Amino acid sequence: MPDNAAPLLEVADLKIEFRSGRETVYAVNGAGFSVRPGETAAILGESGSGKSVTASAIMRLLQCPPAFIAGGAIRFKGDDVLAMPLNQWRRRCGREIAMVFQDALAALNPVFTVGWQIAELFRAHGERSGKKAEARAVELLARVGIPDPVNRARDYPHQFSGGMRQRVMIAMAIALGPDLLIADEPTTALDVTVQAQIMDLLQDLQKEIGMAMILITHDLGVVADVADHVAVMYAGRVVERGKVRDVLGKPAHPYTLALLESVPQLQQNSQSLRPIVGSPPDMAAPPSGCAFHPRCRFATGECKVKLPPKVAVAPGRVAECHHAKSVFNGG
Amino acid sequence: MAGEGPILEVRGLVKHFHVGGGFAFGRQAAVIRAVDDVSFDLRRGETLGLVGESGCGKSTVARTLLRLEEPTAGKALFHGRDVFAAGERELKDIRRRIQVIFQDPYASLNPRLRVEQIVSEPWVIHRDVLPRAGWPDRVRELLESVGLRREHAERYPHEFSGGQRQRIGIARAMALNPEILICDEPVSALDVSVQAQVVNLLEEIQQRFGIAYIFIAHDLSVVRHMSHRVAVMYLGRIVELGGKEQVYARPRHPYTKALLSAQPSIDFTGERQSQRIILQGEVPSPANPPSGCRFRSRCWKMQQVCAGEPPPLAEGSESGHRAACYFPEGGPARA
Ligand SMILES: Nc1ncnc2c1ncn2[C@@H]1O[C@H](COP(=O)(O)OP(=O)(O)OP(=O)(O)O)[C@@H](O)[C@H]1O
Ligand SMILES: Nc1ncnc2c1ncn2[C@@H]1O[C@H](COP(=O)(O)OP(=O)(O)OP(=O)(O)O)[C@@H](O)[C@H]1O
Ligand code: SF4
Ligand SMILES: [Mg+2]
Ligand SMILES: [Mg+2]
Repeated sequence: MPDNAAPLLEVADLKIEFRSGRETVYAVNGAGFSVRPGETAAILGESGSGKSVTASAIMRLLQCPPAFIAGGAIRFKGDDVLAMPLNQWRRRCGREIAMVFQDALAALNPVFTVGWQIAELFRAHGERSGKKAEARAVELLARVGIPDPVNRARDYPHQFSGGMRQRVMIAMAIALGPDLLIADEPTTALDVTVQAQIMDLLQDLQKEIGMAMILITHDLGVVADVADHVAVMYAGRVVERGKVRDVLGKPAHPYTLALLESVPQLQQNSQSLRPIVGSPPDMAAPPSGCAFHPRCRFATGECKVKLPPKVAVAPGRVAECHHAKSVFNGG
Repeated sequence: MAGEGPILEVRGLVKHFHVGGGFAFGRQAAVIRAVDDVSFDLRRGETLGLVGESGCGKSTVARTLLRLEEPTAGKALFHGRDVFAAGERELKDIRRRIQVIFQDPYASLNPRLRVEQIVSEPWVIHRDVLPRAGWPDRVRELLESVGLRREHAERYPHEFSGGQRQRIGIARAMALNPEILICDEPVSALDVSVQAQVVNLLEEIQQRFGIAYIFIAHDLSVVRHMSHRVAVMYLGRIVELGGKEQVYARPRHPYTKALLSAQPSIDFTGERQSQRIILQGEVPSPANPPSGCRFRSRCWKMQQVCAGEPPPLAEGSESGHRAACYFPEGGPARA
């Protein structure tokens, strides 16, 4: 894809809060990124940093209240998603934009067979022949590698293994050939061989129909293998962005650097692993200044009080850190 | 890992699911052979890694060991007592000493309970473990040890992210100081840093209390890091079992070789270190597995003999390193 193509999806300065009588959780704090047609953008980040909440906001699936969109904008094909009437947006979901949810079991209906649930998607979107809808459901199950799909289509979700359920979710999300697929941890429950097969399938679809993809994952290997760009999230903000190879090869944000240092390598001997020191931020009372400062070995006085600017360390590389340049230069 | 006998001996474990027929309209009646003749030992303080393709039966092994599913056949001797023959009261005692962290963190947490109640629930069932006055502090201690915050005790499960929920499950499993902890994909939803923290925590507890783990995970580097021994499953059977260095550095079964080669590498400088072996052919259905060696339909070494009797899980030149294959790497099995 040309680097100057208009973005398919643009998230700008998004702010999402969860308000309860007890406290307000500032789950997303000014996150921004964009995806161009056909491109694969990965979102990496700490557990609890706001990745899934951001994705749900894009799909307009957040329950408001307790959630509140406190600021920012989401644009899909130039249209303001948050301002659009909800039923208009729902009609575009599935066909134009679809999502694979992180919790596969919760997203499937326990009282209907797996095949029926997939076929229902086709029926809801205009397939009149029940037989054809079923046949297409079976075909999809085969594509995501479910053995004996004709029979297994007639099983219920609880009769599938964790990884099989995850693949059903993927099948449902790609069923209508969306322009943008948001995949939230689509391969966490899959062994490497099936994972490779699923990633190949998604990449084939990208070539076939020009589908773009937002891939939310903790798996750095998958990110390195399939994504073009990556956005790294910490405490509700995108703290670093750039091409995958550049960011993972030469990080400019101390969080990204620390994250890479805690990876257990396949070839490694068994000394103990190095997690990032300190505890994850309390999003009900996020740290002042740069949210990473209490755990950062580069932190100075400035970091405690001032929100870091977006520093362009190289063409196409942005990091939100007061010391981004020296981190980038290995300082 | 002293030279004591095993605390758990699993012998010939079989679990078949009968599906279809009757009310399941249109579904052909079938038997899903989820687990077929699985045997292994577990020693005190040891970690046994369990890896294998999605749907090969790993979670089913875990669930039957706790009698959450009734086994079709086999024995599981826990300190010499057969778990599968245990009565109600004995089972309660066993379930206190063998704990599990479930693969599906969402489904295993009661949405109507606060985290405080969820983590202290085991103490309600097993009343002699900890006096009530100590619960609040201990709950918060456990939360901190898995990288959550003390304040999180007040929240409900839906107020957490995926990885945070998984850690609630880990904290709950730790509440009873079990002797065996079965971890079904305990770290797969966690970012690598939190994952490292949880892995370190599990190792620390193991060293302190001699707890044994059955560690099910698809992330091969984490399994390698955590495990002393590794069992590789394919379609309901163990196809390779050995010390972790034996299995990782000198895999004998073709499936293990293919599995290891498929691990994505995070080497940004150049090509992947090893050639990826792409398995040909469909994954067979556990309702209708190939005769003989179940891997034969996808194996590049297959010969006629592979379709006959199933290959036994036999030792090769190194002691303790077993593989169920007629043509294993590094030469045939010992006579
Ligand atoms: N309904 C809710 N009420 C209060 N807080 C919530 C709610 N849902 C999510 N949160 C909080 O919002 C933050 C972001 O959650 P989110 O699910 O987006 O994390 P994530 O980045 O997807 O993490 P993971 O990698 O663990 O899935 C977390 O701190 C979480 O505890
Ligand atoms: N209650 C059930 N009824 C029918 N079949 C079942 C049931 N539970 C599991 N199975 C089947 O048994 C096989 C093994 O499932 P299991 O959950 O043990 O796999 P797994 O190795 O844990 O896979 P994953 O890595 O995807 O979690 C699968 O084919 C699954 O569909
Ligand atoms: S027994 Fe035969 S088919 Fe099975 S893995 Fe070995 S060579 Fe391949
Ligand atoms: Mg999430
Ligand atoms: Mg499983």
